Amino acid sequence: MDRDQMDLLVEIMEEHFVVLETALYLDNQPDDQNALRLHNESSRRYHQLLEMYETRYGPLRNTSMSDYPWGYVDDPWPWDVDFTNY
Amino acid sequence: MNSNYQTSNNCNKQLARCYVPIQVMNRVYSSREALRRGTLFPELYRPYTPAEKERRGNYYG
Repeated sequence: MDRDQMDLLVEIMEEHFVVLETALYLDNQPDDQNALRLHNESSRRYHQLLEMYETRYGPLRNTSMSDYPWGYVDDPWPWDVDFTNY
Repeated sequence: MNSNYQTSNNCNKQLARCYVPIQVMNRVYSSREALRRGTLFPELYRPYTPAEKERRGNYYG
């Protein structure tokens, strides 16, 4: 996995984490407009990044569409990516 | 619903109650910082210090 691919993957994980955090916060405070705005912005960005990644590198989720042959099983698996010195 | 619920009340003390203040979102970390720190919210960032770790006998690693 080259540096560009890894950068994008990490960015996806970061944005995913923000969306999870705002979602949990909003579960308790559904009326917080600032939090909702942040959530929606992050959600949009998260899905854009996912689409960008999958267009370039193949499916990240097995619910995504794939070129032939089925690309979901292509290496590397998430646990094989070394983020130690990222 | 809890009418049949029995507590052991032989020490004459009240049961514990907990009160949690409502969090109000204010400043947030960047997405990079958030994932690194394990929270989006600065007010919830409370890492264990080495001293605390020692006191807890390293139980939490």
